Amino acid sequence: MDYLYDGSFDGLLTSIYYSYYEQKAQGIYPEASYQFNMFTPSTIIRSDPVLAARVYDAIDKKISVYSLMQIYYVYLSNNTAKENFILKYLQLGFQLGPKIDSVHSHPKVLPIRQTAKKVSFEAERFLGLLRFTDTGSYLYAVLEPDHNISVLLADHFADRLAGERFIIHDKKRNLAIICNQKEWYLSDFSGKAAIPDSETEQFYQELWAKYFTRISIENRKNKKLQSHFVPQRYRHNLVEFRKSELF
Amino acid sequence: MGTLEKLAVLADGAKYDVSCASSGVNKHNQGGIGNSKSFGICHTWSADGRCVSLLKILLTNYCIYNCNYCVNRNQNDIPRASFTPREVADLTIQFYRRNYIEGLFLSSGIEHSPNHTMERIYQVLDILRHEYHFYGYIHVKVIPGADTALVNKTGLLADRMSINIEQPTEQSLKLLAPQKTLPVLFAPMNQIHHQITQNASERKIFRHVQKFVPAGQSTQMIVGASKDSDLSIIKATETLYNRFQLKRVYYSAYVPVNEGPNLPALSTSPPLLREHRLYQADWLLRFYSFKADEIVNEQSPFLDTDLDPKISWALRNMQLFPLEINQASYEELLRIPGVGVNSAQRIIRQRRLGNICYDHLKKMGVVLKRAKYFITCQGCYYGGIPVESALVRQALAPVAKPVQLCLF
Repeated sequence: MDYLYDGSFDGLLTSIYYSYYEQKAQGIYPEASYQFNMFTPSTIIRSDPVLAARVYDAIDKKISVYSLMQIYYVYLSNNTAKENFILKYLQLGFQLGPKIDSVHSHPKVLPIRQTAKKVSFEAERFLGLLRFTDTGSYLYAVLEPDHNISVLLADHFADRLAGERFIIHDKKRNLAIICNQKEWYLSDFSGKAAIPDSETEQFYQELWAKYFTRISIENRKNKKLQSHFVPQRYRHNLVEFRKSELF
Repeated sequence: MGTLEKLAVLADGAKYDVSCASSGVNKHNQGGIGNSKSFGICHTWSADGRCVSLLKILLTNYCIYNCNYCVNRNQNDIPRASFTPREVADLTIQFYRRNYIEGLFLSSGIEHSPNHTMERIYQVLDILRHEYHFYGYIHVKVIPGADTALVNKTGLLADRMSINIEQPTEQSLKLLAPQKTLPVLFAPMNQIHHQITQNASERKIFRHVQKFVPAGQSTQMIVGASKDSDLSIIKATETLYNRFQLKRVYYSAYVPVNEGPNLPALSTSPPLLREHRLYQADWLLRFYSFKADEIVNEQSPFLDTDLDPKISWALRNMQLFPLEINQASYEELLRIPGVGVNSAQRIIRQRRLGNICYDHLKKMGVVLKRAKYFITCQGCYYGGIPVESALVRQALAPVAKPVQLCLF
């Protein structure tokens, strides 16, 4: 039996609940992108916060907080097989308990570790690579990450920019973190009328671009190393790469 | 002069300082702007591949000193500028809000006297911390010769402080920076070290004592400007770690900016590979519990450029290998070329649950290309060649790039 869920974390955990208490799931897939197939029957799972919470607590108590975190990271990844990685990992996890955190090379654990690592690496990268523009009344940042990492950035920036209003807009997924000085929430957010940058904003962008070109040492030039750290696909959202021609 | 021009001039003067890390302290916002993460955050990478995490600038590039290797020495004819403390503070805050930077790295030429410059550095910190309530990362240079009381009150506001010793030995310092001596440089280093230790013990009793330089102190050495060997550099590094408990020692491959009888010619390219090997050796000192003597010695005072220092050490000590992965202690695992801190820890953890076989190692992050000559796994050796120094060296040495032979 294939389980189809709505794409939410709660939905995924609910599917895992049903896989244990109703019928074993062969696979779990997001409903929106599921390819029907003649031989495996499928059923749609409505996400249920109560059942999801039970699975959540069970992972926390019977496996470990670390595993819970890893699963959440994998859920945020763009890997198309992620639901099945998580399903298989949890099946092993409920057998082994906390020991699962030590078997790095096990075929059911390794894909989780590798995928979670990619997600946390990208999230950490964007703590630095996010650029805000000051619109006058709030700060606005655009990003187009490979994985759905904006939730992982929110706490960091809410602490850092305490007292400021800001929006972190994931253009690829039409999501945004909106923070009103105190708490933040995640919301659907599509298209925004482009606000032209004010004169002060332009001034600071120019200063930054200037600084960026001056800080590099000509005799040590190493473009390959630079593009290893700042891949081309992120550059069009970065002031210093847009503004300065030399970089 | 406008801010744009000043920034260009003063960033130019600071770029040869390599210290860039914004790491070492975890700090939450307490009703102002900014926080710090102990893992450090890089915000962008410049065209030379070095990361930019701090606004690294000079307060002024006027200088009374005339150090041979320095762009800002007083006899150089270059554009000069000075920021006011407020300009630096404003620039920091505005860059920080836009998430361009992680904090401020403030260095300076010495304009009138050490005390005058140190006082102005203090003013920048005072504005940032007390007026703007900035909780981000600040790294400042200590001006050698400045009053201890001034250094002390600046240290209460900064996260990290550093004094560059520039040269590992007294002779080369005399040759290249005749106005500086090691004792003058060590004095503030010693003072900061004492203050940090004292502050730590006070904080055990009184929780609210203000932190003094919580991210510790660092220093920098220039590599390739003098004739010093890697042996003296690594020895000096080890002494600094042991004596002053420095957080980091940075190495900077000398980029020729000045002409002089005691300096390499302007056409010399910076010794980047040597710098890289020194950083690898530094890593072995800090995280792999190696001693300086094990890395370099009188017989071979320079690091091998072909192979990294850990392999070189292993090749000199072949009698210790091969090690059995399932039995070696953590310390022994760390000494295997190709095994790092992460994979050693994974091996230890997974070993508790069962034997590790050869196929697992790659998945744990072990670099088998190097490690296979130094290990056995469940009693089997997978290297394929006898465990002999010369043969393994040959197998690991970099292959020369094939050159297209000319037909004519």
